[in-house]
Amino acid sequence: MSWGGFQSLSHLWLAALIAPLVLFYFLKLKRPRAEVPSLVLWRQVLQDQRVNSPFQKFKRNLLLLLQLLLLSLLILAALKPFWRGGPGKERRLPVLLDCSASMGALDKPGGLSRLGEAKRRVREMIDGLASDQELCLVSFDNTARRRTGFTNNKRLLRDALDQIEVEDVTSDLEQALRLVQAIGRSEPFDEALLFSDGNFPPRVNFDLSFKLNYQKLAPAGPNIGITALSAQRAATGGWDVFVQIEGSADAEGNASVELTQDGGSMGNERITLARARAQRMVFQVKGDHAASLRVQLTPDGFDSLAADNTAYLDLPQNRDLRVFVPKSMISYRLALQGIAGIQLFPQNTDDTASGQFDLVMSDRPQDLSLTAQTRLSVGFIPDELQRFIETGTNGSTVVDWRRDAPVLQHVELADLAVLDQPRFTANAGEGDLENLGYEVLIHGQRGPLLVRKQDSASTRFALLFHSDHSTLPYRVGFPIFVANVVQIALQQAGLAEANADRTGVLPPLTLAPTHRYEIQAPEQALEPVTADEHGIVSGVRASRVGLYSISENGVTRQKLGASLLSPTETALGSVDQIQFNERLQVGAAAAVKSDRPLWPPLLLGGLGLLAVEWWFFQRKPGGWK
Amino acid sequence: MPPLTPRPQLTSLLANSVLDRLQRLRIRPASRRTSRSRGEHLSGKGGTSTEFCDYRDYVPGDDTRFVDWNIFARLHRPYLKQFHKEEERHVVLLIDASASMKFEGKLDLGKQLAAAFGVLGLLNNERVSVYASHQANDSPDRLPPCRGRASMRNVFQFIESIDGRGDAPLDQAAERLLRHHSGRGVCVILSDFLTFGDLKRGFNLLHSAGLEPLGIQILSPREIDPDLASDLRLVDSETQETLDISTSSDLMNLYQEYRQGLERELALLCQRRAGRFLGISSEMPVETVLFDQLRRRGWIE
Repeated sequence: MSWGGFQSLSHLWLAALIAPLVLFYFLKLKRPRAEVPSLVLWRQVLQDQRVNSPFQKFKRNLLLLLQLLLLSLLILAALKPFWRGGPGKERRLPVLLDCSASMGALDKPGGLSRLGEAKRRVREMIDGLASDQELCLVSFDNTARRRTGFTNNKRLLRDALDQIEVEDVTSDLEQALRLVQAIGRSEPFDEALLFSDGNFPPRVNFDLSFKLNYQKLAPAGPNIGITALSAQRAATGGWDVFVQIEGSADAEGNASVELTQDGGSMGNERITLARARAQRMVFQVKGDHAASLRVQLTPDGFDSLAADNTAYLDLPQNRDLRVFVPKSMISYRLALQGIAGIQLFPQNTDDTASGQFDLVMSDRPQDLSLTAQTRLSVGFIPDELQRFIETGTNGSTVVDWRRDAPVLQHVELADLAVLDQPRFTANAGEGDLENLGYEVLIHGQRGPLLVRKQDSASTRFALLFHSDHSTLPYRVGFPIFVANVVQIALQQAGLAEANADRTGVLPPLTLAPTHRYEIQAPEQALEPVTADEHGIVSGVRASRVGLYSISENGVTRQKLGASLLSPTETALGSVDQIQFNERLQVGAAAAVKSDRPLWPPLLLGGLGLLAVEWWFFQRKPGGWK
Repeated sequence: MPPLTPRPQLTSLLANSVLDRLQRLRIRPASRRTSRSRGEHLSGKGGTSTEFCDYRDYVPGDDTRFVDWNIFARLHRPYLKQFHKEEERHVVLLIDASASMKFEGKLDLGKQLAAAFGVLGLLNNERVSVYASHQANDSPDRLPPCRGRASMRNVFQFIESIDGRGDAPLDQAAERLLRHHSGRGVCVILSDFLTFGDLKRGFNLLHSAGLEPLGIQILSPREIDPDLASDLRLVDSETQETLDISTSSDLMNLYQEYRQGLERELALLCQRRAGRFLGISSEMPVETVLFDQLRRRGWIE
């Protein structure tokens, strides 16, 4: 390993300046003349052996030597020497900077954040960048972003580095590595540098094609934060609001938790958090109107991360679930009558219905055109499945069912007798249903008995046999099945529970179709968005904890809160080794020592030498009196 | 009563008050070096002066006029009275008038001291001659030996006319001086003694000629304590030769060492030849030199 090198070896031509320096010195062009009475004594003095000793000769030519030394220092400084810090010098080096929420944690009160520490080390690398070296800055949180291409431009790199800020989201190392790998296809490199606090999953589903130098940052201080905020519909018609407080491994102490509703305080609790324990609290909130809740955690001691101390929750107004079931489906209506909070349609003798519903259960294909977020079709095959499924008459039994599916929880289907026989058509299979977005929940002998199709806006169940042609209505599980469907409808309508929105991406917003809106994010500029023809605005990035205001022509239409709510970020966990595919492990490496530039001390030395030279030759001979 | 008019200044070299004080002084040589010609200085040998010296036995042939008849009457043996012999003494003034003496009033002080020594010699009825050396190969300008108060004006005029030029080494000046000079006495050498010549040879010549060397080294303040800085090209005022130096504290200390060494060497050269030496600065007033330095050292009394 070499000690270092020179970054600007081309400046070696400056060494040619030594020749004119020596020439001018010996020409003594500027040596002042001083007339003296006689040179007798001076000649004797200069012929003295002591004057002519090597040391005195050296002192006699001290000025020349000082000038040569000064010039040598300046030339050396111009060559930009550096002391090699790392074991080797990569020509191209991508630098990955984790800027997830945990990187904003401070090491001590008023101290440096993890990202600040990482930026400091990267800035050192930039300062010591050799002329043949190029860096590429990539920042990543839940998405990865290339800040610069491979460049040697220090100003560009510094500007890009300064623009990297902590985002209140979790980190996704996999995305960052994929981005770096994509960069490497056009501009190959051998090694990449990763600066992170290690707050990501230990296993990464990625085939590492380059050497990853994992620079794990020192752990931050203790942290307490809100890791969960949700509300469930209470039997009283109000909401039970659940708040979970967790801390990092070394966090303990007291804190206060305050709940505010639309700006007014609704409750204030003191908690004591022990190490490696979580605290869970419940607040009761009335549900007679929609409300915006804000939970503020205030630890008594030092808290390294502030982003997880605030959480927001929007609660809808409580109302009964609007359910449409034709009167012909007596068994379902009977089952629904035993469930509180249900408004059952049709209520009159008229079997038709109009308007919006939360749940439609019908054995009539035309009822599926009713507007509802949750639908259950019974006894017929939806149009789009008719190519793959047909109904036979030989009867069927349940072979298996998805016990973990919410709609089938606590429903025992063994020995269920079904007179209808839904079956796959020739050459059709489960894969065809999956291609259409369907999931088989109950498998019959020849085909599916219950399928589910779910998207962001609605959930559709299709019971491919009629329950009246089976023993299902007579089983204990039937009312449970109906209750599960109701529960899913409640959740789909937002009436069963509400969860605080996490940072990352805002949930889809339902606004006026094709209208233009502006979204004001915390500490960020306005972002214009346009609702689609259905009035949906989706994919709005929410990288900061806080309230997001959606306005149209300056008038606020909606406010939405986004919270961190990530136990992993709050715990400030750290991974020492990253497990990649093929059992490849990358451990935290020793801190990369950037190449230390030597020209500043050389330049300072030169200036110091100049000062010494000035002092030496300006001082009064024989000392000051 | 008519008002007193100030006495006219006799010479520009010395104030009248200094001349008045010099009238009461005389040169006091370390040894008796006189010429055989009769003068006012007692010789070591017996002579015919009125000052009694000693008795000795009478031997046939002696002048019976010097027999002490009173002793003969008491002792019945003739004893001869002996008297000191008063001989003439020369005061030779050798002024180094080379270019190096022009610096910082060295030559001026040298001329003042020469005038003072000349006055002392003339007032004590001694033969005074003055030599001023200039060029190396030329004979020094000289004022032939003169005596008596009447010669004072000549001495002053000659000394006043001396200007500094040339590069005469002191040994050559002494050698050329002795080509013209005869007679014993003292030789007052007024010089900076910064010469490339052989100083020892010059002193030997003067000593062997019967002249007691009285060396007075006149150096300028900048020669005693040079105030030089940085790299310099020194130019010799006499030869115009140059010497490049880079001053440093060590070099200046070495210069002082050599300067003091030269003073010691000059003192030794003079002492070994029954002479005396004094080093002075050119900024020293002539009155201080005459009535303090020289008097305290017994050069004049």
